[in-house]
Amino acid sequence: MSVRCLAAVSLLASAFLAGCQSGQPSAGGAGTEGDAAPQRIVIGVSVPAADHGWTAGVIWWAEQAMALYPNVEWKFSTADTPAKQISDLETMMAAGVDGIVVLATESAPLTPIAKQIRERGILLINVDRGFLEPAADVFIEGDNKAFGRKAAEYIVQRLNGQGNVVILEGIPSTVNTDRVEAARSVFARYPGIRILDQQTGMWNRQKAMEVMQTILLKHPKIDAVWAADDDMALGAEQAIREAGRQNEMWLIGGGGMKDVVKKVLDRDPMYPATVTYSPSMIAVGIHEAVSILRDGKRTEILKFFPRHITLDVELVTPENAQQYYFPDSVY
Amino acid sequence: MRGVAPFLTRYGVLVAFVALFLVNAIWQGEVFLKPENLRNLLNQNAAVGIIAVGMTFVILTGGIDLSVGSLMALAAALGLVVLNRAMATGVSEGTAVWLAAATMLGSGLALGMLNGLFVAWGRVAPFIATLVGLVGFRSLVLALANGGEVRSSSMETLPSLGTGGLPTGLASAGGTPLVLTWGVVLFLVVTLVAEFVTRRTRFGRLVYAVGSNERAVRYSAVNASVAKFWVYALSGTMCGLAALTLSARMNSVASGSMGAYYELDAIAAVVIGGTSLSGGVGRVWGTFLGVLLLGMITNMLVVANVPVYWQGVVKGAIILLAVLLQRSAAKE
Repeated sequence: MSVRCLAAVSLLASAFLAGCQSGQPSAGGAGTEGDAAPQRIVIGVSVPAADHGWTAGVIWWAEQAMALYPNVEWKFSTADTPAKQISDLETMMAAGVDGIVVLATESAPLTPIAKQIRERGILLINVDRGFLEPAADVFIEGDNKAFGRKAAEYIVQRLNGQGNVVILEGIPSTVNTDRVEAARSVFARYPGIRILDQQTGMWNRQKAMEVMQTILLKHPKIDAVWAADDDMALGAEQAIREAGRQNEMWLIGGGGMKDVVKKVLDRDPMYPATVTYSPSMIAVGIHEAVSILRDGKRTEILKFFPRHITLDVELVTPENAQQYYFPDSVY
Repeated sequence: MRGVAPFLTRYGVLVAFVALFLVNAIWQGEVFLKPENLRNLLNQNAAVGIIAVGMTFVILTGGIDLSVGSLMALAAALGLVVLNRAMATGVSEGTAVWLAAATMLGSGLALGMLNGLFVAWGRVAPFIATLVGLVGFRSLVLALANGGEVRSSSMETLPSLGTGGLPTGLASAGGTPLVLTWGVVLFLVVTLVAEFVTRRTRFGRLVYAVGSNERAVRYSAVNASVAKFWVYALSGTMCGLAALTLSARMNSVASGSMGAYYELDAIAAVVIGGTSLSGGVGRVWGTFLGVLLLGMITNMLVVANVPVYWQGVVKGAIILLAVLLQRSAAKE
């Protein structure tokens, strides 16, 4: 028994020592910005846990991007709550990372830790969900307002400003509010567009299907469905098809889900178009982190590097769908 | 007045159900009373209903099963993985679906037994033992599906199990015949069998006995642990049945969201149905009505177009009223 204990203790001790040794060079690197000597860099990546298709896509793209740079030492973690994400980030700081790429689970709770990271001199790249204060070195975000606006404009244009529209929103959150409000303000400019119903499908296929079943019973004539993401569009589609009303209306969701892009590509009459909001933006952030850190010229690069990058949302139609179709992606 | 209180304690959920049904029928009957809407109501709540029946047994023993939603998702995901493997190796679609169904039921039973083992003999509090399942089973589903969806490669048989059922002779506005889907049939059968088991069998009496006075049961040389073990196994099996119902309906398993919060809906349905959280008192038919009551609220909110942010307030208020109706009656 005591022998076993001793063995375990010595194992732990040697693991600890090994950890200290590998941590040393990077810890030195974090403090000295603009060090000219290229060295093995350590970068942490923290993203929300996969709770729906889009976040699963984020993880897939993050893994793709990290695999491009085998010489970087990656510290990757996923978090289902802000509390977990804060402790992940603290662990990364303790491990002496040179840079951190973070897609926040929520904005407000993550802001204080973001400031701490910045104060430590660690390069901080923030993707998609911003902090309350500009704490990050670089902020890369998708344009949720453009998401709502472009899809709504497409509906108005295709209906020639006349028709009945149903809105399926996601879980109440800033992302959802930005998309829905932008869409509503477009519809509001056209008196011929009637919003019959606005309900939540909770970013969820099954829930969207059930809500749509009820909405279909309420309204004998629906022309188009605006859904705040592709998962919900797919659920609504199932309800519409089961009610035998697929010739009456069509849908537009968004997010760049491969199944939906494929339907647009195949000219499915229910999906004349969709808009992008690709989870690949995490890969952009990871690539930027590497490119800023790898040659030890961080200070010089940050002199010209944009502080805020907004990725446009693009309208996908059968003509351009091919370039947005990634069959190998999980999303 | 003396007759009213016991009546309400026993039949409060029935009163609440009928009242809400009438409110809906009068207020927004033109949509609510459509046969298609009533069919949807049953359809959308079949899976959670089957789970709630299993949950009733657990709560009757004074326990709780928080793992149900995750357990269902895991059983469903395993079933679809088996289905896809089988079809990839050339097994016919029909056989593959049977294999999937057997996998879902089997894994539901096995995972439920695992819960039961911890509670009955591991002496872990049910809340903790099944909380481990809630977190752990979900994590396994996510790992299995890489966070995305597990899709079934059965394009005919499994979806037809989800949409098919017993003909009702009614048709939708579009002319498609309305069926009582197999999921709903399963929910009704499970309810009837469970009602019979609680009233007429030795196991049923043991479940009540364990919940009302476990020590007395132990002293009378009946094995309370065995009863506890089997209620969790039963609950797991019900999750397996629900897994089959829901995965056939969606022809896929969404790893993050399938069955999320089902434990809360199921527990709420059981309590609204008049079963005491401390065990020993309750009835399966109450759970049945509790499930439909909850489903009716959700349906009503969408039909009435209640703004999304306010739906929780309305839902909470109705649940509270339904429970208070029985509670105040019980006090008198």
